[in-house]
Amino acid sequence: MSLAPAAGRRQEVWDAIVVGSGITGGWAAKELTELGLRTLVLEAGPMIVPERDYVEHVPPYRMPYRGWNDRKALAAEQPVQRECYACDEMGRKFFVNDIENPYTTPDEKPFLWIRGRQVGGRSIMWARQSYRLSDLDFEANARDGIAVDWPIRYSDLAPWYAHVEEFVGISGRPEGLPQLPDGVLLPPMQMTCVENAVKEAIARDFGTTRLMTIGRTAVLTRDHKGRSACHYCGPCHRGCRTRSYFSSLSATLPAAEATGRMTLRPDSVVHSVIWDPARGRVTGVRVMDRQTGQDLEFFGEIVMLGASALESTRILLNSTSADFPDGLANSSGVLGRYLMDHTMSTGAKAKFPGWENHGYTGERPNGIYIPRFRNVTEPSADFIRGYGYQGWSTRQGWSRGLDMPGFGAEYKRRLTEPGVWEFELGAFGECLPREENYIELDPERVDAWGIPALRIHCEWSDNERLMMRDSADRAAEMLEAGGGVDVELLTDLTAPGLTIHEMGTARMGRDPATSVLNGYNQAWDAPNLFVIDGAAMPSSACQNPSLTYMALTARACHYALWAKNRAEL
Amino acid sequence: MRRRRALEIIGAAAGAPLLMPGGAVARAVALGQRIRAVTGPVGDGPPATLTPAQARTLTALAEVIIPRTDTPGASEAGVTAFVDALLTGWLDAPDRDRFLAGLDAVGRTARAAHAADFADCTLAQQTALVARMDEDLDRLRRDPDEDERGTFFHDMKRFTLAGYFTSEPGLRSLGYRIIPGAFEGCVILDQYGTGEGRPGRQRRPRMRPGGER
Repeated sequence: MSLAPAAGRRQEVWDAIVVGSGITGGWAAKELTELGLRTLVLEAGPMIVPERDYVEHVPPYRMPYRGWNDRKALAAEQPVQRECYACDEMGRKFFVNDIENPYTTPDEKPFLWIRGRQVGGRSIMWARQSYRLSDLDFEANARDGIAVDWPIRYSDLAPWYAHVEEFVGISGRPEGLPQLPDGVLLPPMQMTCVENAVKEAIARDFGTTRLMTIGRTAVLTRDHKGRSACHYCGPCHRGCRTRSYFSSLSATLPAAEATGRMTLRPDSVVHSVIWDPARGRVTGVRVMDRQTGQDLEFFGEIVMLGASALESTRILLNSTSADFPDGLANSSGVLGRYLMDHTMSTGAKAKFPGWENHGYTGERPNGIYIPRFRNVTEPSADFIRGYGYQGWSTRQGWSRGLDMPGFGAEYKRRLTEPGVWEFELGAFGECLPREENYIELDPERVDAWGIPALRIHCEWSDNERLMMRDSADRAAEMLEAGGGVDVELLTDLTAPGLTIHEMGTARMGRDPATSVLNGYNQAWDAPNLFVIDGAAMPSSACQNPSLTYMALTARACHYALWAKNRAEL
Repeated sequence: MRRRRALEIIGAAAGAPLLMPGGAVARAVALGQRIRAVTGPVGDGPPATLTPAQARTLTALAEVIIPRTDTPGASEAGVTAFVDALLTGWLDAPDRDRFLAGLDAVGRTARAAHAADFADCTLAQQTALVARMDEDLDRLRRDPDEDERGTFFHDMKRFTLAGYFTSEPGLRSLGYRIIPGAFEGCVILDQYGTGEGRPGRQRRPRMRPGGER
């Protein structure tokens, strides 16, 4: 891979500049270079070398705190990031330093912004669940008369879903559901005995409206395009040297590199996009070198922002000019608005006695999935939209010993045996796009590079709260049907942001007056500027969104080349 | 068997380019040596916080909780070094001091009752002293108006369990393998893996040490 020179050369004009090397930046790099474009990929964080930096096989006894985390360092450096389960003793190096990367919120509206700044971005730590949206989702805003209509429908994106799935490698089971279209799927992972029992009970008692399937996950169940099948070691969020789960580092960036047309420049903090008022086009980006603080400029025929939803919008808000005093591509005034995340952490859990003779081998990097049935096959009078469940079953381990009296040889022996089965269902709920949920540049705070920090205003609305309360009752009845006892309702919503599905703020739409992007992720105000990450989403659906971002990115790249060849960019 | 085979396969080659194109996966991993390169052994050397007397008491106490049987006990598994690491860099000062005071109290109780350090008491004497602490802990646990967390013996049991079951012999006793090689969802018991003690679980760990978040 070639690295760009330390200083941007004014003469050099790239065919395309991609900002960000995470899940969408990686896809843009692959598609654009494979289409023949000389592409510069700018990443704010450092290079990651899997053989040097990945730590998934470090056993607990090699960690100073045995997986209990360096809690003082987390408190001092990552008080926000530590709220994410993956920011653990070994994995925390893939999460930002909160002191260097501040943001603010109103006191009464906490928002947890979980970020990774390195080559590969959050595709290193993502949870890999991969689901298609359907026309139930693409038509939702129009049907409900809220926000703006999606400018595309499922038929526009379906071939692009297939295009990315074929390369990514997603394991799962086709189920033929209209609300969760089947994709190009590798063989599914297995369920546990208890999950099979609950699945059968759901089919028996709720079979006309609900279904449980194995999760669809971007983890290989067989060798795929030079990457190895999963070996089920468990801690995917700390990297994967066998490339068994999809990430930019494991798949798209190597593909882009193989074309010989990608230049990747880490440590390049993009703070704004350069606007040429005479041409009505963007001409490149302004960058600060992360380590030296040097100001640089890079120039390109096309600029694609894939820095993550909030970072891409932050760059646009920080790109002001006489033409765009409130942020580039913001003639509509909606840039920064309609921020969404998915709700998480409500549902139910239960114990499953009677399965003591059954267990499992290995660590499955996946769980089960119950596709949305609310307002699909089971209407609700209380809320619109719906939720899907992710779930997992495990047997209790040694930590139950802390709640048991006793010590000595028999106590030790009992704790080496697995405990009772537990099964938890957790709902992921759709969040409505609301104008009141928005981001702006904080007038006072800046980050370690002097770039204005974001001020984030976001809170759940009644629709989300009612939906998630319902999810607890529906989960409980399914667990009970499957033989669960000691059923516990989970009704506490976590703060927005923690689901790490933050999206919106530069939405696509049909009308330049009410949206930032058109249906090809192209800025209405700047034809050679694209926003390819979650910022583009006009609604959130309830499915994990990364697969949709990837499909939208691939589609945008092919459109960009087509438009460029017609001299329309 | 499965683990050894996986190690052999994966360890077959070393060294990999910066960003590997697909197809070179087998070259990506050289497991055993690299783990040692990433992190050295933990807990070698003398305790940083515990005095020699406190370390002796702690080691003996942990061994009563998790004794050597057909598998190693807490002492051999290095629980003392783990607890010393917690006391040195992990616990906040008030929690650290409370734990150390509790440890000293165990020493005083032993000397008052048996005129010997806890570590030098007979196994029967040690067992009786620990049984009393465990009964007190259980009483607190059962009392809805009390909170057993933060008491010395609660911490002692918590640290001993964690230190043991995340140690190499402790994990071996649980059937832990770094590379299981396969996931079989529904198998008979003697092949299970609970995943407990593994920090890399797909969700929040079930046991979260009190108050670190």
